[in-house]
Amino acid sequence: MKLLRNLLKSPMFVIGTGLFFGTLLFALFAPLILNITMDRVAEAYAAPGSDLLPDAFPKLHRGLWLGADNLGRDYVSLLIRGLRSSLYVGFMAGTIATVLGTLIGIYSGFKGGLVDDILSAITNVFIVLPMFVVLILISASLTEGRSLTLLALMIGGMSWTWSARSVRAQSSALKTRDHIALARINGDGTFAILVKHILPYLASFVFLVFILQIASGILAEAAISMIGLGPLDTQSLGIILNDAKANGALSDGYWWGIFPSTILITTIAFSLYLINTSMEGVFNPRLRRE
Amino acid sequence: MTTPVFEVENLSLHYRLRFGAKVHAVTNVSFTMQPGEILGIAGESGCGKSTLVNGLMGLFIPPLYPSGGDVKVAGESLMNRTPQDIRKNVLSRKVSMIPQGAFNALNPTRRVKDIAADVIAAHEHGVDRASTHVRLLERFKLFFGKDADHVLNSYPIQLTAGERQRSVIGISTLLNPEMVIADEPTSALDVSTQKVVIKMIFDLLDAGIFKTMIFITHELPLLRHVANNIAIMYAGEFVEKGTADQIVFAPKHPYTKALMGAMLSAEPGQKDRKPIAIEGAPPSLAKEIPGCRFSERCPVARPECRTKIQELRMFSDRLVRCDYAE
Repeated sequence: MKLLRNLLKSPMFVIGTGLFFGTLLFALFAPLILNITMDRVAEAYAAPGSDLLPDAFPKLHRGLWLGADNLGRDYVSLLIRGLRSSLYVGFMAGTIATVLGTLIGIYSGFKGGLVDDILSAITNVFIVLPMFVVLILISASLTEGRSLTLLALMIGGMSWTWSARSVRAQSSALKTRDHIALARINGDGTFAILVKHILPYLASFVFLVFILQIASGILAEAAISMIGLGPLDTQSLGIILNDAKANGALSDGYWWGIFPSTILITTIAFSLYLINTSMEGVFNPRLRRE
Repeated sequence: MTTPVFEVENLSLHYRLRFGAKVHAVTNVSFTMQPGEILGIAGESGCGKSTLVNGLMGLFIPPLYPSGGDVKVAGESLMNRTPQDIRKNVLSRKVSMIPQGAFNALNPTRRVKDIAADVIAAHEHGVDRASTHVRLLERFKLFFGKDADHVLNSYPIQLTAGERQRSVIGISTLLNPEMVIADEPTSALDVSTQKVVIKMIFDLLDAGIFKTMIFITHELPLLRHVANNIAIMYAGEFVEKGTADQIVFAPKHPYTKALMGAMLSAEPGQKDRKPIAIEGAPPSLAKEIPGCRFSERCPVARPECRTKIQELRMFSDRLVRCDYAE
């Protein structure tokens, strides 16, 4: 409770959570209020007599609040669909990366010796693999079945390395504490010590890592979709950008094809970084202010 | 003669380093202990005391490995057993330990009663919470009287250093082990708290919670009050073992003498005596040492000491590892 009170004192935390939960609630509940459709709707709203060129992006006007894309699809609908996919990827990739990284790191740091050497070597191999290049290669080689879930799995499976490394460092520092020695003497096994004596220490850190992993998962998905290697089964914020770019929104000045989704991606990532920074200020005693 | 409760035979332990290198931290330690005996082990920092403690509990956590010898508790060997077996059937039940820096040994994120309940849960199956709590309360009343409930329900940070120390001792002796090894239980405490802890250990002995104890410290004067017998350790070996009074008042091995000379003491008539530091440092145990391990620092060393290995042998009334001990 005291923790929450301290957090609420930080304007960064209030703004960050406000923005993040705002977008989250919007993604979850907007479909209940707004009519979400992937059909061509531009004509229904078009002002009589206005000329809609075949490949142009219909302008913004009443009922078509953010305009439409070159296929005449309502951008509000597209953005809500895209936002949901992006958040889904972010949470899934973030969860995978955090769980995998924490498990590998905590075990390797605590065990030490050969186990640690092997797991650290694997971690280092994954760290030097250029994640983005590998993602592009895998995505490009999959012409079928490139789904959102698969993309989230790949991002999660590639980005656990840094969390593994930092968790390993902390767990190997913690294992020499006196209370771990007492737990050992009192007959606790490795698993019990990890769960009862090491994980509670790392909980706040792991949570911060989780937030950052969500942000980087969302950004990675946006980047890979932006260059046209995104999921084939759904919309996403990156795909909106890719479609708009491919159809000349950038060169012809249809800003409503580019800006809204860019702003959404930035907002989510920014709000997550704000939450992370403000929480670090509260969790970390060295950064704590009165 | 009763059967010894604790038998250690030529126990040698080493740490394995990378690329096959080994550090022989403990070499050929042997001793037996009768029920009711308190053995003090003293020696300077790094002489292998804490390593020996792990070996005596059968707790071989890599990179520590046994290189030979045997440890028997009540006739049962601790060697060549799985870690699970050791954890479940030896630690806390047969041999328990009061760790170094015990007042830091409580996990700050958990209440004392949860830490204590873990010990019972790790050794006994199907014990319910209520009966565990009754047991804990009963045991903690021995240490804390009417404060027992308060201590059990507190987080370690809410207790004083002395209370934490006593809680740790309470937790370590919960299952009435045959042997308790106290690894420098008092070295980080102030003198008055030291007395409280020593008194508490004696209360436990009197109450029959445990009978036999190994007390490890680098404070020789303290050992004289606590222990029946004292063994002096240097560079992984016992160099002298005798009764407490023999070691403290009439040391024979040059190292024991030097150790006593380096001691600050509050005994009368000691004020004018200046403590004498032992020059040099103990030898590296990563290499083979050809002669007596103390020869480099020994004030009375002879040339042959550097090449001739000294054996621990009976010298009138005690064991000494020096042919020239007078």
